[in-house]
Amino acid sequence: MAAAPRVLSSKLKALTRLRCEIFQTSYNPKNLRTGAKYLRGNLTGPAMATYYPKVISLSQIAREFPKMGIVDSKEAQRKQDVEDRKRRGKGTPKKAKTKADSRRQAKRR
Amino acid sequence: MNNAGKALRNARVMRDMKARHGVLTNEVTRRAYLYVARNTTLPPQVRHQAQLQLNTFGKYTRPTTVKNRCAETGRGRGVISEFALCRTQFRLRALAGELNGIKKACW
Repeated sequence: MAAAPRVLSSKLKALTRLRCEIFQTSYNPKNLRTGAKYLRGNLTGPAMATYYPKVISLSQIAREFPKMGIVDSKEAQRKQDVEDRKRRGKGTPKKAKTKADSRRQAKRR
Repeated sequence: MNNAGKALRNARVMRDMKARHGVLTNEVTRRAYLYVARNTTLPPQVRHQAQLQLNTFGKYTRPTTVKNRCAETGRGRGVISEFALCRTQFRLRALAGELNGIKKACW
């Protein structure tokens, strides 16, 4: 079997350079860390953002199309309950403005 | 669907969604800074500045903070990413015939 023909290293280098030019890759014969890999990779954000399927709620539809007159019965019931509780004096307490206020409210509870 | 019309998601899923949104909005600038910071052919001062800039980005802009969770239960382990479901929910859905092309093995 005949030995493979010897190729000059300078010629090989020229070939690599030419190849890089043609395929538009960076010519880096010394294998320096040029950070090219951070620019080369595809962007992953758009795929990441669409992982969870969109959840459509009734209230969302009602907000989008107010003319349709959709009523979210659960939400309406909740609001009604809160109103009833307020009337009975069981609503959320007012935010304390001063330290003394907060102490008084803590005592009352 | 078990929780049809459920608008609120698990808190962990919400956090993950936040991370995903952060990654999406900051990815290009982060990559640019990474390129400068990791480029050994650039002067060290410039690289250091870029690294400092990278450090100013929030926790939820790094793609490593994103985890594929179950969209139904928020479970972080045993998730079949293709369907965004954990193994239990995947099984339930598959048995209910809600996943196209998925069939229980039988031989």
